[in-house]
Amino acid sequence: MTPFLFIDGLRHSYDDRQVLNVDGLEVHEGEILAVVGPNGSGKSTLLRMVNLLEEPTQGDITYWDGSRLSEMNRKQRRELSRQMAMIFQEPLLFKRTVRANIAYGLKIRRMDGEERDKRVDKMLERLNLEEFAERDALTLSGGEAQKVTLGRAMVLRPRLLLLDEPLASLDVPTRKMLRRDISRLVRDMGVTAIYVTHDYHEVLEVADRLAVLLDGRLHQVGKPNQVFGRPSTEEVAEFLGAENLLEGEVKENREGMAVIEVEGVAVEALSDIPAGARAKLLIHPEEVTLMSDAGEAGTARNRLPGRVTEVNVMGALVKVGLDCGFPLVAYITRASQEEMDIDKGRRVTAVFKATSIHVMPFTQAGDGAA
Amino acid sequence: MGDIWDGFVEAIKLIITFDPYVMKITLFTLYVCGVATLIGMLVGIPLGSVLALYRFRGRQLLVTLVNAGMGLAPVVVGLFVFLILKRRGPLGFLNWLFTPKAIVVAELILAVPLIAGITMAALQNENPKIRMQARSLGAGEARSVLTLLRETRLSLMAAVIAGFGGIISEVGAAMIVGGNLLKGGEPYTRTLTTATVLEIGKGNATQAIALGIILLAITILLVYIMTLIQQGGLMSQPVKVARNLFTRRGGEASA
Repeated sequence: MTPFLFIDGLRHSYDDRQVLNVDGLEVHEGEILAVVGPNGSGKSTLLRMVNLLEEPTQGDITYWDGSRLSEMNRKQRRELSRQMAMIFQEPLLFKRTVRANIAYGLKIRRMDGEERDKRVDKMLERLNLEEFAERDALTLSGGEAQKVTLGRAMVLRPRLLLLDEPLASLDVPTRKMLRRDISRLVRDMGVTAIYVTHDYHEVLEVADRLAVLLDGRLHQVGKPNQVFGRPSTEEVAEFLGAENLLEGEVKENREGMAVIEVEGVAVEALSDIPAGARAKLLIHPEEVTLMSDAGEAGTARNRLPGRVTEVNVMGALVKVGLDCGFPLVAYITRASQEEMDIDKGRRVTAVFKATSIHVMPFTQAGDGAA
Repeated sequence: MGDIWDGFVEAIKLIITFDPYVMKITLFTLYVCGVATLIGMLVGIPLGSVLALYRFRGRQLLVTLVNAGMGLAPVVVGLFVFLILKRRGPLGFLNWLFTPKAIVVAELILAVPLIAGITMAALQNENPKIRMQARSLGAGEARSVLTLLRETRLSLMAAVIAGFGGIISEVGAAMIVGGNLLKGGEPYTRTLTTATVLEIGKGNATQAIALGIILLAITILLVYIMTLIQQGGLMSQPVKVARNLFTRRGGEASA
């Protein structure tokens, strides 16, 4: 299958400082691809290049109609850019009525008045904005305003929708509502979308795939649970806020079952890394079980006695910090916290399977375990 | 106080009797300043836009010239235009000196930097992402600039008001290049300001005050109208009426 969009060897520098260096990234038709990364990682630059708003220093982009960025003339660029629409972090509404804002792109495309009104009315209705139609767009609240920008983009029925941190300046409830509107509209209309954000929580529900961009480089692309479960590098794991990112040395490896020593404590994990090499480990906190008695039965290979150093209630879950020879975090439910009477200083056994540890090769880049 | 009161009474008298001399001078002033402001807009707004939005060689110099031009002494501009247009000057062959055209040229030189400078400042104040947003919705380069200009329309109106106000009130340039002349006993290049200066020179304070009051009244009235347009009080009403008419008619047609 040929990709809908293909980004090939794209490099960009501002004043000799390279801000983007993406070797290859495919976007599939009809998917929502989330590009996540911290501020300044080059995400917005990438979007602007796809949207033909900025020229890359080097590299190429191939679009759905087979046209290539490097070979396009002015007319082709104009035509192609009219098949895309972008939503920015700020609403950037024009000083006109809501209706006129939504009609803006259609007017530019010289759509006949009657057809235009019909399309605009329908979009107003879909987004429940009818009552705001004649309001001055600049008097809207943040959430309403961003909803209008969504309508203004989607009324164009773009082939590709580009979203640049569309929820970043909104409060939490509004964010949730708008996220729902975005994903509903994008799915219903079968639009392909690239969604850029520094807050990956924002896209977990809506994204089909996740691309992690750090310092201008693409570190990992995959389904969200895959990226979260098995980050390709420790930088990715760190960016995704992984707890329990540890460092150790492989002491022995028998057919993929490795014994890794972390601060003097032996941990068993599945890995191909040979004995003698250093490795990074990621132990998912939700897969660590706490037991009050080490003698209980079970198949888990790792049973580490430890002492509770910290207890933080985080909504339905409780984050428990342990000292097992190395610091370890576990997430447990509030019910089990109460049942086991877990509090600071309590001695427990942390239990986790060898399969719930993700082992990554050691890189010098991010020296020092989290 | 007596002089001012007499001048005020005289001004009212001149206005309500449609004094032909005063009417002529007033219309001439409006004509010259109107034409200069209009051409000033056509030059100043694009110039200000280019300076605000694009980077090119010589831009810094142009920006400096525009900024300096905002504070130009009208007398100096008058002198400059005089030297250019005088019979032996580089453009002497046009025979424009001491004609209304010469006044328009001088006023234009005064108005353009004012309009361009305020336009430039207004556009630089506007969020540059607005233009990017317009482009990402399909607007071409020119259209995106027009969209941005429309966003700054309040400031653009202020630029035009400043340009108009600056030239209707100046006297030095109009005097030097126009000459404050009569032709066949009728005012030819006489504006409200140059006429005022003349009356003062003749010791005719009452007449001077009357002309001054008329000038002030006209300036205030015109600026008031422009302000109404700027604040949307004047233009939006007819637009709304027209829209209602249009939609009603549309409704009947489809019924």
